Amino acid sequence: MLVKLAWRNIWRNKRRSLIVTGSVVVGVVALIFIDGLNNGFLSQMLFNQVNLNISHIQIHKKGFNDNKVIQSFIPDKAKVERILAHNKKIVHFSERVIAFGLVSSAISSSGVYILGINPDDEAKITTISKSIIKGEYFSGKQREIVIGNKLAEKLKVGLGGKVIVLSNRPDGSIGSEVFRVTGIFKSPNSEFNKAYIFVPIKTLQNMLGLGNKIHEFAIITTDYKVTEDVKNEIRNQLDESYEVLSYRDILPLLIMQMELYKETIYIINLIIGLALLFGIINSMLMAVFERINEIGVLMAIGMKNGKIFTMILLESLFIGLLGTALGLITGIGLTELISIHGIDFSLFAESLENWGIGAVIYPKLTLENLIAMLFMIPFITISGAVYPALKAIKLEPVYAISYV
Amino acid sequence: MEILRTENVNKIYEDNKVPVHALKNINLKINKGEYVAIAGPSGSGKTTLLNLLGTLDKPTSGKIYFENSDFTSKSRKELSEFRLRKLGFIFQAYNLIPVLTALENIEFSMMLLGVPEKERRERAKNLMAELGIDGLANKRPNEMSGGQQQRVAVARAIVNNPRIVLADEPTANLDSENGSKLLDLMEKMNEEKNITFIFSSHDKQVIERARRLILLKDGRIVSEN
Repeated sequence: MLVKLAWRNIWRNKRRSLIVTGSVVVGVVALIFIDGLNNGFLSQMLFNQVNLNISHIQIHKKGFNDNKVIQSFIPDKAKVERILAHNKKIVHFSERVIAFGLVSSAISSSGVYILGINPDDEAKITTISKSIIKGEYFSGKQREIVIGNKLAEKLKVGLGGKVIVLSNRPDGSIGSEVFRVTGIFKSPNSEFNKAYIFVPIKTLQNMLGLGNKIHEFAIITTDYKVTEDVKNEIRNQLDESYEVLSYRDILPLLIMQMELYKETIYIINLIIGLALLFGIINSMLMAVFERINEIGVLMAIGMKNGKIFTMILLESLFIGLLGTALGLITGIGLTELISIHGIDFSLFAESLENWGIGAVIYPKLTLENLIAMLFMIPFITISGAVYPALKAIKLEPVYAISYV
Repeated sequence: MEILRTENVNKIYEDNKVPVHALKNINLKINKGEYVAIAGPSGSGKTTLLNLLGTLDKPTSGKIYFENSDFTSKSRKELSEFRLRKLGFIFQAYNLIPVLTALENIEFSMMLLGVPEKERRERAKNLMAELGIDGLANKRPNEMSGGQQQRVAVARAIVNNPRIVLADEPTANLDSENGSKLLDLMEKMNEEKNITFIFSSHDKQVIERARRLILLKDGRIVSEN
């Protein structure tokens, strides 16, 4: 009956209860949406980096990641290939030659990372083949080059245009080759579009006199979640002359940012939670002050302080549960709906592309935050009722009963 | 048999920082089953005395005994338990819980005592039938007349079989016909269940029908018969 009484009490002043429930709903929706947007933002940053170039796992000669010298070849390519081919958690892998050099057109030149790739394998590892905005991804000819749109603008070169690529050979001499632009890509990362070029691996190996030596294996696993396990499995099968790195090792700042965000969302939750808390305190105080006489009657007929206290807490809890349920439904629905087409931040496209995100952000829900809210909001609403409930039970019965 | 006794009870309260001596040396003895009216003009201390007898307030000095036990020194929790088990209240403004139906209002004080739901529903229904208000079971206070509400309030006050029912101006908001019906009902409960009734009132009808009249003036008992 106490539950029934508390439930009916909240509907005595429908307008006020609906406004308070509405503020809980708005708070929950805001929390879900902010979390979804931030999570989408960071996930896209990570996803784009991993899918553009990094892949899930990379294998190099030890030290290559910190100092990308041309002489740091994979010590035993065939052995690594055998290991990778036998691991069932590896879906695809690709060989790469990586060099730093200069690309020149008739008009301009620019320092670039030159990636020698096997186009068919690479298409399974990265999204470059899907990011072509002009021309085509390699057609099979030896002197084809795929460059980013920003670099094409800088070099003032279009499809079919000639560029010369220069880079140091292991012996210190300069290797060079003439390429014809076969495709121009545009990724969500403007820096990448400016600084990376792709050529067939054989052509680059010939240009630099590398034979069939390579610098890197890029690997895609069955799932992000198994990456660290696979990395450790491969590391255990290789000796100390190799380095096996997951995307977490290669992008430590981004991972740190994501970890930091997990802490930040609790601070955002706390701020919105505090605003809600004061709203609830205010509303429940009003509800108590409106009913001083009635509380006096309850005291007179023998209702103990504990039950009066519980009744007021229950009233607030019901508002909290109702608001949380409606907020979760609305918030999840809204975020899922928006995530279909994303939010177009074209106005900030340039800065977003500098961060490697792209102009359209797709909000992404996190189960962790949804569960946290499921407990946090009702807890806040109960907490908000503690002070009003204490005020109620401290009333003197004789004062309360004669209160007009 | 004595059920309630006061010894030199004084009550002084402050009204805008001015001390008001509301009750002066009240010595009173009430026996079980009595039907008592406390009368007097406005400001004579009727409600203050009733509040003290109902343990809603404490005297500034003096003692109040219920069945020879002093309850002026008891804690809030003990007094709450005492009111729940031993007292029933009837208020001038009825003061039913507005969100509960008549049946639920009567059940409520049984719920506070921990009576199982089935039993309390049955007891409440039986009592409503006894008082002739069973047709009001599912009505909320705002759907009932003043007289009907006060009858439900009587049912709420007696449903836990209290020793004493305290009624503060119970007929003040009723017309004479409904007031008379209410007094009939309370007399019946007094006679049949031997419940002690103490009223505060300046209603002529109540005073005339009381079996014992305590007259207050300026906080003192000026006559008793």
